[in-house]
Amino acid sequence: MGFKKKWARETSDHILSLAWSENALIVTPSTGTFLLVDQDGETTAEFAAHGLGNGAADARAGLLATCGFDGQVRTYAIDDSKFVSARAITLGKGWIDRVRWSPNGEHLASALGKTLFVFNGSGEVVGTYSNHKTSVTDFAWNPQDPLEIASVCGGGAQMWRVGETEPFARFDWGGASLLALWSPDGRWLATGDQTPSVHLYDFTRDYPLHIQGFETKVRAIDFSPDGKRLATGGGTTVTIWNCAGKTGPESTIPDQLTFHKGDVEAIAWSPTGTLLATADRAGRLVLSNAQGRPVAAFEDAEGISALAWSPDGKCLAVGDAGGRVVLFSD
Amino acid sequence: MDFRIPVTILTGFLGAGKTTLLNRILTEQHGLRIAVIENEFGEIGIDHELVINTEEELFEMNNGCICCTVRGDLIRILGNLMKRKNRFDRILVETTGLADPGPVVQTFLADDELQAKLKVDAVVTVVDAKHVLLHLDDSDEAKEQVAFADVILLNKCDLAPSDELDALEKRLRGINVMARIHRTTDAQIELSKVLEIGGFNLDHALEIDPQFLEEEDEHRHHHHDDEITSVGIERDGHCDGQRLHNWLSELLRTKGQDIFRMKGVFAVKGNPDRVVFQGVHMILNAAPGGPWNGRPPKSSLVFIGRSLDREALSEGFESCLVPGNAGS
Repeated sequence: MGFKKKWARETSDHILSLAWSENALIVTPSTGTFLLVDQDGETTAEFAAHGLGNGAADARAGLLATCGFDGQVRTYAIDDSKFVSARAITLGKGWIDRVRWSPNGEHLASALGKTLFVFNGSGEVVGTYSNHKTSVTDFAWNPQDPLEIASVCGGGAQMWRVGETEPFARFDWGGASLLALWSPDGRWLATGDQTPSVHLYDFTRDYPLHIQGFETKVRAIDFSPDGKRLATGGGTTVTIWNCAGKTGPESTIPDQLTFHKGDVEAIAWSPTGTLLATADRAGRLVLSNAQGRPVAAFEDAEGISALAWSPDGKCLAVGDAGGRVVLFSD
Repeated sequence: MDFRIPVTILTGFLGAGKTTLLNRILTEQHGLRIAVIENEFGEIGIDHELVINTEEELFEMNNGCICCTVRGDLIRILGNLMKRKNRFDRILVETTGLADPGPVVQTFLADDELQAKLKVDAVVTVVDAKHVLLHLDDSDEAKEQVAFADVILLNKCDLAPSDELDALEKRLRGINVMARIHRTTDAQIELSKVLEIGGFNLDHALEIDPQFLEEEDEHRHHHHDDEITSVGIERDGHCDGQRLHNWLSELLRTKGQDIFRMKGVFAVKGNPDRVVFQGVHMILNAAPGGPWNGRPPKSSLVFIGRSLDREALSEGFESCLVPGNAGS
């Protein structure tokens, strides 16, 4: 276990999101330009801010997308960490806080208000899905089918297939979901909710689960790469649910990690599933092994707001509320 | 030190003058950086870089109970706005004319992220002196907006004679005895009277005139039982902290639907300082209220709500008093 701090650097503001594009890291501060940073911490490209504030950025091989308060989604082609070309798509007036590439990079999804949009590689809209009770709070692509996407809002989740106009599945649970994640094996859709609770949907059995008892709204969840474990925040405790069995976490006793002092803000499994990184609002980062034992810890001066493992699992990028990005490497 | 950013909630019926007030707040040279969250169906959209449009979205936390409903759109937008170094000095949230202010206030008490960074400074309700009586007779929302107010601007005073204004003020006071009422024309008012209220102002709370109790009772005879009114209670001496907490918790749990707001300053046995409780529907918050500064310890509390049972509330509070110390 040899993770060491490789570099730390300041950016303009609170880090909202971190995402890797092969060997480069795209950094989203809440205001100011987006930065593309290489593995040595050097900025190789900068991308324009989105008006009053930024939303998030996402990356796929050779592609970046950013969004924000100006109602725009912008895409950038990059080559060897350098900017090549850009395209801007205006969705309307309002704030866009999330953008996500499909697993094969062929489509891009974003949402404005009650509408989920899907674009193709040329920036053309290939799907608008408007049937939501409230603003779309999050959406997740199916890692096993690059044409399937789930959207969540106040009221539940809907599953859409690019090319079709009606959802192919719908889960109404009335609560208010804040974030959505589709398990890497395609079996589960999980949401973190305001209520505070977690909803899970088992596609193999067409069966919903509702997990309650969290201290606060659930702001961070992540599936292990094999989809068999789900780590959830929702207060200072990280809970790990066993999703492997026939009935998933139902009637099982989860593992609980109680290393955190502040509410858990970010959770990320390493690409191999051997390490779980969890971080809290009080600035503590903990790496735990598969047995749930802490193997490394780091104390930041500010609350940690974002985590991202590099695709090869050798680096972990950590962003904080003060705008600092720290890279740990193996 | 409380470093939380103050939030002003602006309510009022369509045409009352909210937009006029908002424009004044945005254009006057006050040196403050104020972000305005404006509802999408506002009277006239305001074009200003710090105005963010939103559509009211209610998140039901518990089977549609209004006491457990919060504004999802505010949680998202304000949650994001708080994640920046260059913070705003103030946040102003405008509600639609037909909105119940309850969920907006509850949002700032029920969401842990917002509660850590923001505090409600005041609910400011703008009413139209010419038409408010009609609204008060016809609309629950108009009454609720008055009931929730810390500050009421009785606007368009140039359009109503002063005896009508007096009667109107009395009617407003009957609903909400706690609010400060200012008479205005074109929403012209010193901004410190709407922007620097200081949340639950202890001194103001202690100013409650016991006289209103009688006035309020007299007022009640002329109205139906489901009328929205204020009930104020004042007693000398100390309460038992545990009993007080139990009573208020139980009261808000069972009657929270009808209690819009509750504010109280208490003398609690064993505590040398004042203790402050405030409630919105079913949410109850307690806070230290500072020293008595030589004033005789007493407890004052006010409920604003629908179909309030004065006798039951008074009896309930009496049961929290420590026996034998009245007047001490």
